[in-house]
Amino acid sequence: MHVSPLSWIALTCAVVAAVIMIYYLIYRPPLNGRVKLLMMVAVGVLPIMTAMIGNLEGLQATEHQAFCGSCHTMDMHIADANDPDSLSLAAIHSRTIKFGDKSCYVCHKDYGMFGYAMTKLGGMGHVYMFLSEYAWYDMEEALPKIHIARPFKNDNCMQCHSTTGRLWNDVADHNGLLEDLRTGTTSCASAGCHGYAHPFSKPDEETPSDAEAHSALPAPSPEGT
Amino acid sequence: MNPRAKIERFLDNASRSRLMVYACVLGLIGLALMTWSLFDQGWIPVMMAMSVGQGIGTLSFALFLVIVIIDLRQADFRPSITPMPPKPDDD
Repeated sequence: MHVSPLSWIALTCAVVAAVIMIYYLIYRPPLNGRVKLLMMVAVGVLPIMTAMIGNLEGLQATEHQAFCGSCHTMDMHIADANDPDSLSLAAIHSRTIKFGDKSCYVCHKDYGMFGYAMTKLGGMGHVYMFLSEYAWYDMEEALPKIHIARPFKNDNCMQCHSTTGRLWNDVADHNGLLEDLRTGTTSCASAGCHGYAHPFSKPDEETPSDAEAHSALPAPSPEGT
Repeated sequence: MNPRAKIERFLDNASRSRLMVYACVLGLIGLALMTWSLFDQGWIPVMMAMSVGQGIGTLSFALFLVIVIIDLRQADFRPSITPMPPKPDDD
């Protein structure tokens, strides 16, 4: 558990507010001007500060794997992403510093002007689906039923892999499918290309073998992609 | 009785100290929910803090504002500057 300095400020505000409120509840001083001023701080100012910092910290928390993995139906996705021996796209990307602990969010978030808000709206949809259906399934029941709400956009891959680098374009399949990849007609994360990001969640016939996945994945290169 | 009359009657009769007790109790519950998410950042604490916790906290503050409104309704406002006495040559 990591508690940031901001969280400590929020906690301090909450504790001070709680102490004042408990004092009032125990001693019930008459509500004169001074007590009302004190209570305005305890009921208004300090809780608002706690809430604002809580919002900030809460929204940041939603970007971490621990948040995504707090639904039991995501256990296998998180385990695979953090498996040092896994060759899935999710695991390969999670091992890089740009993704790391935020790999779920970096790959699945919506980019663009309203990306953050749209991502949060999508997250609310996930909460609804979890509460209305998946919460009651164990992992074996849930796994075949879990599917991505919308097809994964190549735009998300292209945030890093610009499709303009020389090394990237030297790959014959990339060059031949350039327009399809840029328009999203052909998915980067499909069985015939780089394989699914979470292959364990797909039926066997749709999942490329390790050898196929290896051959489709060029050696990681920090530049020219 | 129309809603406005009901509200006015409530504001005339409500006990300020009791409202403050409710505000404190709700405030403590709201604070507990909001601080829970600072330590446990799973989806339940985070969502509870940002929805139920803040809702209860807002209700608590709203009760405090009701107390302020009650005080303002009962306040005896007097002008801060006393009127000047009439000059002798005014009449």
